[in-house]
Amino acid sequence: MKRSPARLVIALSVAAVLAVFILYTAIAGNATTQLSPSALAGTAGHVTLVGMVVGHPTGDPHSPAGMRFRLKDVSGSSTARVLVDYHGSVPDLFKSSAHIVVSGRLRNGVFVADSGSLVTKCPSKYAPAKSKKT
Amino acid sequence: MAALGRVALLLSFALVVYALTAGSYAAYRRRRRLALSAQNALLAAFGTTLVASAVLLTALARRDFSFVYVASHTSRSLPLGYTLSAFWGGQEGSLLLWLLILSGYAALAVWLNRRSRELVAWVVPVLGGVATFFAFMLCFVSSPFDKAVAPADGAGMVASLQNPYMLAHPPMLYLGYVGLTIPFAFAMGALLSGRTDERWIVATRRWTLTAWTFLGVGQLLGAHWAYVEIGWGGYYAWDPVENAALMPWLAATAFLHSVMIQEKRGMLKVWNMVLVALAFNLSIFGTFLTRSGVINSIHSFSQSPLGGWFLGFIAVCVVFSVGIIYLRLPLLRARTKLESLVSREATFLYNNLLLVALALTILWGVMYPLLTQAVNGETRSVSKPYYNFFLHSFGLPLLLLMGIGPLVAWRRASLRALGRTFIIPAVAALVTGGALIGVGLGSSTPGLLAYTFSAFVFASIVLEFVRGTRATGSLRRLVAKNRRRYGGYVVHASVLLLAIGIAGSSAYQTIRERGLNQGQSMEVAGYTLTYRSLQNTQHANSQSTSATVEVSRGGSHVATLHPGKSFYPVENDFGNDVSIYHDPRTIGDVFTIADQFDKNGTLFLKVLVKPLVNLVWAAGFLFVFGSLVALWPDAVEQRRLAERYEPGAVAART
Repeated sequence: MKRSPARLVIALSVAAVLAVFILYTAIAGNATTQLSPSALAGTAGHVTLVGMVVGHPTGDPHSPAGMRFRLKDVSGSSTARVLVDYHGSVPDLFKSSAHIVVSGRLRNGVFVADSGSLVTKCPSKYAPAKSKKT
Repeated sequence: MAALGRVALLLSFALVVYALTAGSYAAYRRRRRLALSAQNALLAAFGTTLVASAVLLTALARRDFSFVYVASHTSRSLPLGYTLSAFWGGQEGSLLLWLLILSGYAALAVWLNRRSRELVAWVVPVLGGVATFFAFMLCFVSSPFDKAVAPADGAGMVASLQNPYMLAHPPMLYLGYVGLTIPFAFAMGALLSGRTDERWIVATRRWTLTAWTFLGVGQLLGAHWAYVEIGWGGYYAWDPVENAALMPWLAATAFLHSVMIQEKRGMLKVWNMVLVALAFNLSIFGTFLTRSGVINSIHSFSQSPLGGWFLGFIAVCVVFSVGIIYLRLPLLRARTKLESLVSREATFLYNNLLLVALALTILWGVMYPLLTQAVNGETRSVSKPYYNFFLHSFGLPLLLLMGIGPLVAWRRASLRALGRTFIIPAVAALVTGGALIGVGLGSSTPGLLAYTFSAFVFASIVLEFVRGTRATGSLRRLVAKNRRRYGGYVVHASVLLLAIGIAGSSAYQTIRERGLNQGQSMEVAGYTLTYRSLQNTQHANSQSTSATVEVSRGGSHVATLHPGKSFYPVENDFGNDVSIYHDPRTIGDVFTIADQFDKNGTLFLKVLVKPLVNLVWAAGFLFVFGSLVALWPDAVEQRRLAERYEPGAVAART
């Protein structure tokens, strides 16, 4: 009995998808490492830093000197703090204790952020810490 | 009052557990009266969940801060509309909305199909099983009816949620997400009952289409919300939370197409079961993503205990659906076989494979940080280039297939016939591509391909309408004769608008940012923006500072914009008030953001000029219109179905 070409089509399609995928990972794969402030020490490459703002920022993000602020881990008990040097737009939700994502490189102990890369997490459907229940 | 809510939820839980257990036993043992009582329990669960929802809504309307949920998400100064929308603004309320929609959908679907007793007998326990999970979460893990000593005022609502879109976007998404449970339950019911013909598809066709429409509209509303509220000038960021809604929509899109092959040719039975299970499981996975905080997203969610529960539930659903499909494989043999690789059904198959490939590569991108963390202890993530690569690789062929599919004959098409059919669309595509290159807009290959393919598809849709109208004598008669098909073409046209809007607003966008003192101007893409003055305004629950910015083009004044910022004292939050000029000449926007107000009066203004962006929103309206055309009751189709199946059984449900 003549077999349906559907199987051939599916097999070829799966092979094509895999080929595209391998092509991507081989040529264009550019996954970025995500780190928390406590894991940043000693890294050399371009990374995405995820953390919580500690204290108040200093400086002006639109001036040549830029703005500086400190970040700590969002969760956990680590005492690690990272100083971030930033230029460019600052989202409205940026403030002390805001959770942020910023990309850049560690240089001489200071995280030099890519200009305009600062993103505060959007608190949609945000569930705040509960008050004590009765 | 909280006690009433808790009792109502406990009753809902008991009723859906009964629907699951008694329903399973009754279906297995073929006990008709017990099956009917399980069915009634499912209907009653909607009533009790409605009571629980009314309790929460009343507490919100009264601003009863003794409810922890009300105190956590509202305040005295929050306008009533937003106060009521806090129903879905938090985790517990969202879960309650989920259960309310699920029980409502379940009650309606079961009631409409009550005459198909054998099928419904197994649908009831499947729906009961899904509802049991949500009712359990609400009763024992995350209750909206927890009480505490009432504070003087509530914590308020996050500033960015205080937007009219908050009233529509989340419920729309939920109506879509939850709606995918109905085709899943009927599919599983068909497998369990052994009735694997096309009845379950006919029974749930409109449910699937409705859920899919809600999910699509919900995503577009969310995109527009992000565009006008968040203040970054974009509308989609490939964020895991956004992808969470896109993945089940893609799977459901594939399903909507492939069911037509099963109806017409009795093929792809296993594939349809896999797709419906995939769409449902992806909708639950989406909820897991947004509720667990397990994946880093630009949306911030508290680390909640819900993640583990959802993961467990997904595992159960995947094992159940894969297991039952596997066990019933012998019943899912195709009636006919694919006769040619050049046929209507083959193009539907290609379309399906591309849609599923796109959904799965997005899923891979979403899961990538978890996988890298598990494999080598380092979290790595993929971003926009990864998603764009696959959107181009799979999305562009999909776009082209939208134009090819409707022109190819069923079963087998000859190449000569294809050549005759394709000549007009192909010429339209080549002329468009040539014209774009001619005017210097050929720099972006994906953009050029998107526009060329769009021209091909547009020409093929127009051809279909012209040929059909000639044959039937009037456009109205043509559409009335086959609403599903022509509604589908309108939806295809909306996808074209979307593709053109996205390609135009991203490939030809201009962004400028600079500090301006009053009286100073900046030039952006042919527009001149002049900063005139600064105003402070007091509102009911916020204080705003806004700039007056005059926009002119070619020396003529075209608009006055007021970008600014609002401070919400109760929430101690700032919100961006972007100001947009919609230019009818470019169908685009001049989008202004007051990035920073300095104490010396300097305004740091960010301006984005986005041509064609309004086509993205126009696509939404066309999408809804096309879906409504396809959904509209069709007497001819009902008669046809009634002839195919037993009289009476189908008439009531379609």
